[in-house]
Amino acid sequence: PLPRVPALSAARVPLSAGWLPALQFVRRGSKAVTRHWKAMHFQRQKLMAVTEYLAPRPAVPPRCLARRRETLEEDNGYAQLLRRQVEEVFRDNRMIAVCQYNSMPGEDVVLMRHYLRKHNIEVKFVLNEIVRPVLSQSKYKNLLPLFVARNILLVSREAKAKEMLRVLKGVPQINLLGACIDDTILSKQGVENFAKLPLLETVQGQTVGALALLPSQTSSLLQRGPAHLTALLDQHIHRLQAGETGSPAEPAAAQSSGAH
Amino acid sequence: KKMASKIRVVLRPVKSIVVRFCPFESNVESTRKFLGCINHKKIQATNRNCEVTADVRHDGSEPLVDVMFADGERLIMKGANLTTVEMLTALGSRCNAKELKEEQKSKKSP
Repeated sequence: PLPRVPALSAARVPLSAGWLPALQFVRRGSKAVTRHWKAMHFQRQKLMAVTEYLAPRPAVPPRCLARRRETLEEDNGYAQLLRRQVEEVFRDNRMIAVCQYNSMPGEDVVLMRHYLRKHNIEVKFVLNEIVRPVLSQSKYKNLLPLFVARNILLVSREAKAKEMLRVLKGVPQINLLGACIDDTILSKQGVENFAKLPLLETVQGQTVGALALLPSQTSSLLQRGPAHLTALLDQHIHRLQAGETGSPAEPAAAQSSGAH
Repeated sequence: KKMASKIRVVLRPVKSIVVRFCPFESNVESTRKFLGCINHKKIQATNRNCEVTADVRHDGSEPLVDVMFADGERLIMKGANLTTVEMLTALGSRCNAKELKEEQKSKKSP
């Protein structure tokens, strides 16, 4: 670069969107392609201003139009697996209890799991967004409003409601909301009542006893006549035998027994 | 937007909290979330003596939060049309007010 005496002249540059100064000094005598920013020729400036890019705007703004339903294609394999697990759970187990889970310290969770395991009850943590669609398609529609906020499921093949209630009483942070035992939806009160019921065998024994009562009464009634008769005959024989030692009265006894 | 789990409530002036709701109803979501937030470690740590009881019914009654303060005052919040954040902020503001009063009292009478 030759040391030339710069001859500066001011040129008006239109204020663009940037922060260029209003006056720019143009060095007359510099080449067309410079390392610094060189003001365009005024006619070129006008041309550039006229041919600026204008983004096309839709006639109706998109937020006024109805939103297109975004199809839930996010069916990733993990969600499917969890859904299958939930379906399995609902199919396999007789008793499913839904409880609200408020945050518990970890050791308490492990202890509770341990105690429930002893009674063959499993603890499952579930996500609402997975359980809700599964339930809405199965027959357990009435369990849907239960699945809000954090929940856990206590599932078991036997319906040991009493033990479950006892364990849950010792854990204050888990609240039983409802249960589905043998395809019957029960509330908390229902579960407590169910726990108070006696064992199935006792109930069966009681039913059998109650049912057998009437026929036994009938049979005893029917047998009363002949039993009375046999008792009377026995007494008669005894009396006759007692009388025989005193005086022989056998033909009379044979006649009386033959008449009946 | 406030997250319900971020609200910190100091439960020191509270004696007991009873949360009553009927899980088969559809308006219990905020009450249940309120119960979940109240049972958080940090909030429970502010007052170990505060008993939080959950009363689960099936009689179609509306969700209710009954807070009993140590100075005998009672706060009843009907959660059917309230959000969790509203309930937590209401409880929090009352607790803070009580704390301030107690501090002032303890400062006045050393």
